[in-house]
Amino acid sequence: MGATIEIRFHGRGGQGAVVASELLAQAAFLDGKRPQSFPFFGVERRGAPVTAYTRIDDHPLGIRTSITTPDIVVVLEPSLLRTQPVTDGLKEDGLLLVNTRNPAQELMIPVPARRAVVDANQIAVAHGLGSLTMPIVNTAVLGALVAASGVVSMTALDQAIEEFVPARQAENRAAAEDGYHAVRMVEANMPFTPPVPRAVGPTPQLPEGPMATLSSELIHTAAWRTLRPVVHLEHCTRCNFCWKFCPDDAFQFDEKGYPVVRYEYCKGCGICVVECPPRVIEMVEEV
Amino acid sequence: MVKLTIPAPELMYSGHSACPGCAPALAMRLMLKGLGPRTIVSVPACCWTVVATPYPTTALGVAMLDNPIESTGASISGLRAAADALGLTDVHILGFAGDGGTADIGLQALSGMLERRTNAIYAMYDNEAYMNTGVQRSGATPLGAWTTTTPVGDGARGKAEPKKDVMGIVLAHRPVYAATVNPSFPEDFVRKVEKAAALRGPRFFHIFTPCPPGWRYPSDQTIEIGRKATDCGIFPLYEVEEGRYHVTRKGGSLRPVTEYFQAQGRFSHLVPEDLARVQAQVNADWQRLLRLESGT
Repeated sequence: MGATIEIRFHGRGGQGAVVASELLAQAAFLDGKRPQSFPFFGVERRGAPVTAYTRIDDHPLGIRTSITTPDIVVVLEPSLLRTQPVTDGLKEDGLLLVNTRNPAQELMIPVPARRAVVDANQIAVAHGLGSLTMPIVNTAVLGALVAASGVVSMTALDQAIEEFVPARQAENRAAAEDGYHAVRMVEANMPFTPPVPRAVGPTPQLPEGPMATLSSELIHTAAWRTLRPVVHLEHCTRCNFCWKFCPDDAFQFDEKGYPVVRYEYCKGCGICVVECPPRVIEMVEEV
Repeated sequence: MVKLTIPAPELMYSGHSACPGCAPALAMRLMLKGLGPRTIVSVPACCWTVVATPYPTTALGVAMLDNPIESTGASISGLRAAADALGLTDVHILGFAGDGGTADIGLQALSGMLERRTNAIYAMYDNEAYMNTGVQRSGATPLGAWTTTTPVGDGARGKAEPKKDVMGIVLAHRPVYAATVNPSFPEDFVRKVEKAAALRGPRFFHIFTPCPPGWRYPSDQTIEIGRKATDCGIFPLYEVEEGRYHVTRKGGSLRPVTEYFQAQGRFSHLVPEDLARVQAQVNADWQRLLRLESGT
């Protein structure tokens, strides 16, 4: 590999992964480099997995393809480590940076690369970026990336945020600064526990045509949420409003008619909390 | 057991990939509760084609045809003809398309299906912009709304044109039945679908579907915003059967439109004078609807 540094970002729609890849490229340009940045073309949904790419070189880049053997992988949402092949192709001497508050649990990934972690959700929330349920973590993660990799200078990142972030520049600059100081390197040889295979029944025999024949209930969307609804049944009136208004059909009833949350599917939208007439559902933080 | 106000069977599965708090997901859930399992759904390019089909899975317990964005109306005419040829005359054919695929790109196919008197149901779920591709304005985007292609700032103040009247366009074709429905009022929604299911000929639904990321509000407010839209008169609930209007929700006087507008980030730049103009228009439209209902 030449002097080109290839960085791949993985996030969820709404976290700012695409903007992060652009900001990094802008910062590299301010450092005098010749960068490029582009997202993987996919669907635009809040919560859906998003991939974006940045290349940095001293000379103009001719290559325009997506990045398959990155030097650096940046993961904005730790649940993607379980559901997406985020570390595919990551170089042995590369760097894996993950936004997580629980590195011991989340970094059981068998990659030889160096690993860094930062709790960017907490930094973003502290600076009022995004909401508690969907913090916008990109600038905090970029600050951490600068500290862990040195691919661009902090001065350039700071200037790129000032010039190219459309709103709340001061908060975003402060978040990047906090991310820079909060990043931690973690041991690469920590004990590796193979992930438990998810029970999805027999291996599906895929039909040859473009025909979808399996129920989407094979897909657990629990990882989309950061808050979970808890029903306090002692005051529940069994009105079934929670069931009626749930866009994910994530409620069922027990034999007495009380609601039971199907946590494997709940995306944490909070509609049930707002619509519950006796107000006996509350959102609590996922741990 | 629990006493339910809408049918219990679920024909939309969990695990679909709609955003948290998605009203179009609820719209499909309610629509299929009303139509039942003997239904074939045709979905064009729109949010729902993505929501339903993380390959090789499907979020629908009924057959679904995925078709190009402009062809929903044509596809349901073809599905009807094929189903009838196979003797499946009891099967409901449902076209389920977004506002972009209906009001803009699929308008001629919709018009053709209505004009051919296709015995099918066309439902437009209206989230008032091209949401699947990242919030670009459509013909159904309301006046003043922020979208990525109708920005706010530097003299730009959101969409400069009013919303296209799709119900008016549809009613000019004199369908057998047309109705507005809103997932915030599920009993009214399902009752109208069940009513339409018993009729034959072209039928149309305009479904009001708030969108948390596109309208810039917290995902837990979807039902509340839908409720405000109807109770402020922005989206009145009515049905038109063989030309006869019937307003299905009249809660006395309308709530002020500011309650609806202030709940959404896409309207946060509007000033009191803007809202006063909207209020005057809503009042006039509401009076017009009441006159249509009373036949005067």
